[in-house]
Amino acid sequence: MKIIQIKNLHKIYNSDSVSVHAVNGVDLSFEEGEFTAIVGPSGSGKTTLLNIVGGLDEATEGSVEVDGVKINELSARKLTDFRMKNIGFVFQAYNLVPVLTAKENVEFIMHLQGANKNDREARTTELLKAVGLGEMMNRRPSKLSGGQQQRVAVARALASKPKFVLADEPTANLDSHSTENLLDIMELLNKEENITFIFSTHDQRVVHKARRVITIEDGKIISDEVK
Amino acid sequence: MRTNIKLAWRNLWRNRRRTIIAISSIVFSVLLASWMRSMQEGSYDSMIENSVKFYSGYLQVQDTAYWEERTLDHSFKAPDELKEKISKIPDVTLVVNRIESFALAANHLKSKPAMVMGIEPGSEDQITRISQKVKQGRFLKTGDKGAILGEGLAKYLGLGVGDTLVMISQGYHGMSASGLFVIEGLLSLPNQEFNNRMVYLDLQTARDFYSAAGLSTSLVVMTKNHYEVKHLKKAIEKILPASNRVMTWTDMQPGLEQLIESDRGSGIIMLGILYMVIAFGMFSVVLMMVKERSREFGVVHAVGMQKSKLSVIVFFETIFIGLIGCSIGVLISYIFCSYFYFNPLPMSGKMGEAYEQYGMEPYLFFSLKASLFYSQVILVFLLSVFISIFPIWNIHRLKITKAMRS
Repeated sequence: MKIIQIKNLHKIYNSDSVSVHAVNGVDLSFEEGEFTAIVGPSGSGKTTLLNIVGGLDEATEGSVEVDGVKINELSARKLTDFRMKNIGFVFQAYNLVPVLTAKENVEFIMHLQGANKNDREARTTELLKAVGLGEMMNRRPSKLSGGQQQRVAVARALASKPKFVLADEPTANLDSHSTENLLDIMELLNKEENITFIFSTHDQRVVHKARRVITIEDGKIISDEVK
Repeated sequence: MRTNIKLAWRNLWRNRRRTIIAISSIVFSVLLASWMRSMQEGSYDSMIENSVKFYSGYLQVQDTAYWEERTLDHSFKAPDELKEKISKIPDVTLVVNRIESFALAANHLKSKPAMVMGIEPGSEDQITRISQKVKQGRFLKTGDKGAILGEGLAKYLGLGVGDTLVMISQGYHGMSASGLFVIEGLLSLPNQEFNNRMVYLDLQTARDFYSAAGLSTSLVVMTKNHYEVKHLKKAIEKILPASNRVMTWTDMQPGLEQLIESDRGSGIIMLGILYMVIAFGMFSVVLMMVKERSREFGVVHAVGMQKSKLSVIVFFETIFIGLIGCSIGVLISYIFCSYFYFNPLPMSGKMGEAYEQYGMEPYLFFSLKASLFYSQVILVFLLSVFISIFPIWNIHRLKITKAMRS
């Protein structure tokens, strides 16, 4: 079942006298349960593509349909709600809220969704245990290593039971051990809970684990391989 | 809402030192502002008290025509029932009859126009503490047939205690008035005009002198302080006959009120400058808080927090800084001002002497008026609300991708 449908997507950045065509006529679709890596050199348009798919940035032209909803036609308020309910994000720099504990960071989105306390606590415990941080729930991000913070970020991304998770260079700041560990967790969640993961990455270890690899250069898809 | 408050509270302390510095600056500014205002208002209270206790009282009941044309012909009958009714109004502490007019005061060689005031000695003394100004002889007693007068007048006429003062005047409705009065005491009055012209008689003696049986030119009404005057005026007006009216100290001494108002105005300008300093201090902290968290704002908005909710959190943070600083400031200020309220600062040297010459206590008084303190809280709160516009506006303009690159 297709959960994301991208049609003729363009993104042009205009600065002073220079125009940059960051995404140039991309047509793509993603099925439920995919574990996909989008690869390409720096500046190729991976992150821009992911941002538009995640509703974080606006396309200049084209459309993105998630589960039948054209997200580029939603108002800002509805788009924010849509992101909260349907999309999980994992960022390169972890980006946890520093004043909240690991547990509170994971609970944060469920709070926004209005979930009750018992449901929140049960889901948070389950997710943090799944990413191997059951014992560190009450630590603030500053008391966790980079790998641990990124695992909390994965748990946070999954907390709202999203339709898919967008991970932008999730292993870029991690050592190889943490990278392996994180990828194993995400692969497991993908297989066991059928969660769709879409990565933008340079990391060959991610590419190796992915079952589909999309290569992008100068904003255009130059290959799309399913392993 | 609880989560928003919790988040705001924790955000506040993520840079503890900066928050403490911001709060401290508010505390010191509030302390300075409160101290300044307390001293200012305390001085006004003291000026008003000195002024009303010197002569006018807080309120006077008069004939409607008396203030514009101060003659005995505009005196009025002040029956005991009226005095009693006024006395029973809550917050009224004293009601005293006076009859005031003029006379030519003389000895066997010289004469001089004098102001004559017929008083109820015991009650009048509670208002003007006039007995404390007796320098020679004694103060009047009820029923006394003699007089006490200012030293300046006595000196001019060459009279002393035990001598006889001659007074000639016009009584009620054109009656002729003349009398001989044994001088019972001499007063040293701080106001030179009063010192050179004032003669005090017992009320009944003055009424007899002016053929004004049962008449008074005013009923002086006293209360705890000048803050009660407005509501007392209304209450007294309700029980007065149409031929009478109530004058407040501000009606009788508009110059004093204007002086206070203009001085208060300059104080408020100073306060404005002080609050601008507070505002800039708070603004710089809020500016830093917002700028250093652009990425975080981008992230929480990306994962689904509405900008409105984010704005509420930042609004709480700004309000917290303002209110914590202000509450601590007001608490310390209250303790500080209370100390000076009960232990006013003595004035020494020429300034102290000048105060004493004018019959005022040579102290800098402080006020503990509640509005001095809660107005600070309201001001800082409003300031915080105003300052919070900046981060809210910033959040409103937030672009996620730009914020996350910052």
